[in-house]
Amino acid sequence: MIIDPREAPTPTIAGDVVSPDGTGSAGAPLRQSNLWRDAWRRYIRNRAALAAGVVFILMLLFVIVWPIISPYDPNEIDFSARSQPPSLEHPFGTDTFGRDLMTRAAVGGRVSIGIGFAATIAILLIGVTYGSISGFVGGRLDNGMMRVLDALYGLPYLPFAIIVTQIFGNVTFWTMVVALSIVSWFTTARIVRGQVITLKENDYIRAARAVGARWHRVLGRHVLPNTLGVLIIAIFLELPGVILGEAILSFIGLGISPPDASWGQMANEGRAAYRTSPHIIAVPSIMIATLILSANFIADGLRDALDPRTRET
Amino acid sequence: MTKLIIRRLIWTIPVILLVIFMTFILMRQIAGNPFRTSERAIPVEIQRNLERKFGLDKPWYEQYWQYVQNVATFDLGPSLVLRNRDVNDIVKEHFKVSLELGALSFLFAFFFGVLIGALSGLRANSWVDYTAMFVSNVGYALPSFLVATLLIYFFALQWDVGLPTSGWDTWQSKILPVIALGLAPMAAFARLVRGTMLETLQQDYIRTARAKGLRWRRVVGLHVLRNSMIPVITAAGPTLGFLITGSFVIEQIFAIPGIGRYYVTAVTARDYSVVMGLTVLLAIIVILANMVVDILYGFLDPRTRDART
Repeated sequence: MIIDPREAPTPTIAGDVVSPDGTGSAGAPLRQSNLWRDAWRRYIRNRAALAAGVVFILMLLFVIVWPIISPYDPNEIDFSARSQPPSLEHPFGTDTFGRDLMTRAAVGGRVSIGIGFAATIAILLIGVTYGSISGFVGGRLDNGMMRVLDALYGLPYLPFAIIVTQIFGNVTFWTMVVALSIVSWFTTARIVRGQVITLKENDYIRAARAVGARWHRVLGRHVLPNTLGVLIIAIFLELPGVILGEAILSFIGLGISPPDASWGQMANEGRAAYRTSPHIIAVPSIMIATLILSANFIADGLRDALDPRTRET
Repeated sequence: MTKLIIRRLIWTIPVILLVIFMTFILMRQIAGNPFRTSERAIPVEIQRNLERKFGLDKPWYEQYWQYVQNVATFDLGPSLVLRNRDVNDIVKEHFKVSLELGALSFLFAFFFGVLIGALSGLRANSWVDYTAMFVSNVGYALPSFLVATLLIYFFALQWDVGLPTSGWDTWQSKILPVIALGLAPMAAFARLVRGTMLETLQQDYIRTARAKGLRWRRVVGLHVLRNSMIPVITAAGPTLGFLITGSFVIEQIFAIPGIGRYYVTAVTARDYSVVMGLTVLLAIIVILANMVVDILYGFLDPRTRDART
C-alpha cells in the first residue's frame, strides 16, 4: 500500500490556534474541517481532474450561453454557405444546409447534455430506491432482488432502449430519457446496495437502532446521507454512458427526430458528407468525446477525493 | 467444479425466461395486434381466423408460454413484413457475420488491451505508461462512429492503403471494422489490466517469488499476469456480449450485412416479430456469455466456487 503524498499531511488541526490549556484561544477563528472540504482539497490537487472539471464547466457554459449570443439561427438554412470548412465567420464551419455548426453544436449540446443529466437523475432515483431497499431490508428480499438484477444484466442495452423508444411512437427528449434510464440503472442499484450493507454494520447505525430509532429514521438520517459520496461519483460514471447511448441511437436514425439537433443527430447528418466535408461529422463527435473524456476524469478524481480507501494505486 | 457448472446452467433457465418475459411484455406495448391496426378493412371473420391462426385470441400468458416453447425449439417465428421468410432465415443469413465481427473485435481488444495494460503496469509512471494511458483514456471516450469515420477518412481516403470501406468478404475488408469496434473495449482492458497489475505487484507472494530467486520474466508470466487476469475475465463477459450485440453502428457505417444492421432495418420497417426474435436471441447470447465467464472465474479463482452460483 503506497501512502499517497496527497493524504500524508492532515491539515485538519494543523492550522488551529490552540492555547496551552487546551481550549481554543478566544476570538481566533477555528479552521473547521469536514469531509467535503477535505474532498475538495484532494480533488483540486489532482491536476487531470481539475482540468477536466474546468473543461466540463466550460462546455456547459458554451451550450447554455452561446445560442443566446450567437448571431446565427441554428435552423436557418443558407444554401449560399453550404458545407464551409471552419473560418472566422463560422468557427466550426457550416453543414450541408449552410447552418452554422457552432450554434448547432451548442443547441444540440443542450439536448444531449440535457438528456444525459435527466436520465442520470432518473437512474440515481431508481438505483437508490432499489439498492437501499434491497440492502437495508436484507435477507430473502435482498437475495431475490439481487437475482432479478442479475437477470436484468442479461438484457442487451441497445435493443432494449430501442424497443422502449418505440413504445411511445415518435421519439422525443423525454422518450429518450425514459428509454436510456430504464436500461441503465442496474449498476447504480448495485453500488448503492453495497454501500448500504457496509454502512449497516457501522457502530453508529447499531447505536441508533439500539436507542430505538425507527427504520425510516435510520435510513433517512444515517444511511442515505452517507451514500451521498458514492452517488456523486455515480453521476459522472453514468453520464458518459447515457450521452453515448443517446448519440448512438440518434446516429443510427432511431433517436431524436430532425430538425431538432442533438450531437448524435448532427453526426448522423454529417455521415453522408464525410468524404468531402469531414468537419461536419467531426464537430459533434469531438464535442461528445470531450464531454465523455472530462466526465471520466472527473469521476476518477471524485473517487480519489471522496473515497480514499478505494483509490487505485 | 462440476457442481458450479450445473448450478450455473440451471440458474440460466429462469434468467432466460424472465428476459423473454420482459421482451414479450414490452413488445406487446408497441405491437398491439398487427391484424387490427391494419389500414385495410378486413372482414371480422377473416380477422378472427387470422388471430386464431397466430394464437392471438388466447390470453397473454398462453401466448407467452407458446413463445417460450417456440424459442426452446429454436423457432423464432415468422416475419410480419417479409411474407415468405421467418426470423430463423434472417438469423441464419446474418448472424454469423455479426458473430465473426464480434469475435474478431474481442480478440483484437483482448490481445492489445492486455499487452498495453501489462506494459504500462510494469513500467508505471514512465513515458510508455503515460502514452499508453493517454491513448486508452481517449480511446475509451471516443464514440465508435467517430473512430470508424476517422479510420475510413485517413486509411481509405487520404493515404489510400487499399483497404475497402464496406462489405464483409475479403480479410482486408474486415480490418477497419474490427479496429473501430474493438478500440473502446481495448482501452477498457488496458486500463483494467494496468490497475490490477499495479495492485498484484504489491502483493507478498510476488515478493516471495522474487526472494526465492525466480527470474523476473517467470514471476511476471506465472504470478502477476495470471492473477491480474481475474478482473479482466469478469469484464470480458459483458464486453463479449456488447461486441456481438452492440455492433449496430459499425455495421451501419461499413455496410456489413450483420444482425445489428438488420435490427435497425426491422425497427424502421416495424417488423416487430423480427425485432422481438432478434432481441431474445441477443439476450440469450449475453446471458450465455456471462455464464461462461462465471464458470471461467471459478477456474481462475477457487475462492469464488462456493460463493457464486
